[in-house]
Amino acid sequence: MAKHLFLTALLLGSSLANAAQSSPATNNQTDADEGFTAPLQSLTFIPGLDNFVAASNSAMDVYDPLETWNRGVYQFNYRLDQWVMLPAVRGYTYVTPKFARTGVSNFFSNLGDLPSLGNSLLQLKGERAMRTTARLLFNTILGVAGIWDPATAMGLPKEREDFGQTLGYYGVPAGAYLVLPVYGPSNLRDTSGLVVDTLGEQSANFLNVAEESKRHFEISLLRAIDTRYTTPYRYGQLNTPFEYSRVRYLYTEVRKLQIAE
Amino acid sequence: MLRLLSLAALLAGLPLTLSVQAASIDAASYGYPITNAFEATIGGTPPELRPAVANDEDIDQADYRLNLEAVRAETMPDIFWNGETLPYRLAQQDGPAPLIFIIAGTGAQYSSGKPEFLKKLFYAAGYHVVQLSSPTSYDFITAASRRATPGISSDDAQDLYRVMEAIKAEHSELQVTSYNLTGYSLGALNAAFVSQIDDSKHSFNFKRVLMLNPPVDLLTSVGNLDRLSRVELDLNGKPPSFDMLFERLAHYFKEKGRIEVDEALIFDLQNSKERLSTPAMASLVGSAFRFSVADIVYTSDLINKRGLITPVGMEIDYSTELVPFFKKAAACNFRCYAEQHLLPLWQQHNIGGTLAQLDKQVSLYALENYLKTSPKISVMTNADDLILGPGDLSFLRRTFGERLTIYPLGGHCGNLDYRVNTDAMLEFFRG
Repeated sequence: MAKHLFLTALLLGSSLANAAQSSPATNNQTDADEGFTAPLQSLTFIPGLDNFVAASNSAMDVYDPLETWNRGVYQFNYRLDQWVMLPAVRGYTYVTPKFARTGVSNFFSNLGDLPSLGNSLLQLKGERAMRTTARLLFNTILGVAGIWDPATAMGLPKEREDFGQTLGYYGVPAGAYLVLPVYGPSNLRDTSGLVVDTLGEQSANFLNVAEESKRHFEISLLRAIDTRYTTPYRYGQLNTPFEYSRVRYLYTEVRKLQIAE
Repeated sequence: MLRLLSLAALLAGLPLTLSVQAASIDAASYGYPITNAFEATIGGTPPELRPAVANDEDIDQADYRLNLEAVRAETMPDIFWNGETLPYRLAQQDGPAPLIFIIAGTGAQYSSGKPEFLKKLFYAAGYHVVQLSSPTSYDFITAASRRATPGISSDDAQDLYRVMEAIKAEHSELQVTSYNLTGYSLGALNAAFVSQIDDSKHSFNFKRVLMLNPPVDLLTSVGNLDRLSRVELDLNGKPPSFDMLFERLAHYFKEKGRIEVDEALIFDLQNSKERLSTPAMASLVGSAFRFSVADIVYTSDLINKRGLITPVGMEIDYSTELVPFFKKAAACNFRCYAEQHLLPLWQQHNIGGTLAQLDKQVSLYALENYLKTSPKISVMTNADDLILGPGDLSFLRRTFGERLTIYPLGGHCGNLDYRVNTDAMLEFFRG
């Protein structure tokens, strides 16, 4: 067995070898009869214990005093998505070629870099602020207002920072869970953040988009459709009668991740 | 024969292992880098060892919904409003082509990761592909399961067969040169029972049937999965929680400098200092299955008005807080579901029958003679599959002989996306 491991290690390079050697379940004592390696044998079981009950119960306990209202909004969003948003996205996909849709996505995504920059600076993440600035410059200057997103091709991946994250970074707690109409899962802190980011974008009026959007409803509409087009989430895809609670937990944990990072 | 095919696949698919080819598949010549069965089960194959498959943009595919109104349109609880029709996915080729049905594993939907991967694999090889949810999946239970109590394999297979016939009728314009069938995990067991039905009904006359990592004895399999929730964890006195996983991820992302969730995430995480211990990974695997059981228990109880979870007669609508019911359902593991829901239903027609007798009827044993004499059916499994027990590999050997391939590593379905395995799968259906 050790020889096999060694050979595998040689073949696959040292980084994988580390994984192989440090894995506790590698002592495959093969049953002479049939070769079954009984992977559960390496574990210790405690009769009567049920880790799942404790873990899943705690995952259900997100502070949600407005649950009844939130569930109503969640159902509203679900139906709106099925009957309005997704058909709109299908129509949009049908009438526009792929390169145009990619251009639209990059354009609005470029707009989103501005609040990211502000929020990176507010969190004193210097290097990231530099990277975001570079992205903004590259995309605006080289990419004709960000239509081709050359920054990603040049190795500067997108880094989202919103004001909700900034607040979280400075220790503002999430507050009550909130499902916003159309927009979806949020909480008190992130909703405040959303308002600030939107106001910030209005006052910066980058590339005059905020100003033009007031006069041309189509821009906001296109942005809404693009947002849905680029959001992979589908209602029902969690495939569980407890979708609302699952989404609530996942949203809360993912936001914690984004703030910690 | 299959051995030879696998060997050929090995030679063609993986230049890295050329220097150490052997007559049978041992761990070194197999070349699969993940030796921990739990890690393989969670993370699958490292991306660079996966095959090239079709891109989503290049696949002519759509989701459809099947209306099997006879099931229970009138008695369906309101909160399952979106569960009256069964969704499935069809990817079609331009002209005539063979078609393959893919049956998902325990609790899994047609669109989950593994059926998606298999679709991309077979589509690139020229197949029309139909992806089906597992009979234990929430959408299937509400829309297509006549008794809404999955687990009695012959009933589940009849439900599946009806769905497949309806899909065939729905797409009568599709030019199909031959029908094929595959399934992984519980879906592999389903595939065997479906194949048996087809041998008397002949709606498809399956050319080939491939079972990937099937359970052999269902009680053994679910017993193993239940045990994973009883694993001793080193938690420093803290209560068990999924937050631990997210904290690890947070540290990992912080070191990396950014959040990046991709196919290599688990593999990379396990090679960082934030790696999860084997007991922690075992717990995660156990938890993923238990979430499915909780969904099955809740849904089956409510539709059948058993009153074990939701009180009979209670008004439930979309604004009802379901957490208390989730907690009740979550306390019921596979064994509990089998004893409280499945067994009483089965006993209605098998008075005085025991759980052990039920197990014999719903496990692979029930098909032993059929499987022995059906050359079109093959099995691929792993020596370290978590859902197997002592004696299961011997049963498979006895039953399938040359039609069985046992890979040394991969855990439960972790090597389905390994190039050596995918080459062998394609070769099997080509033959």
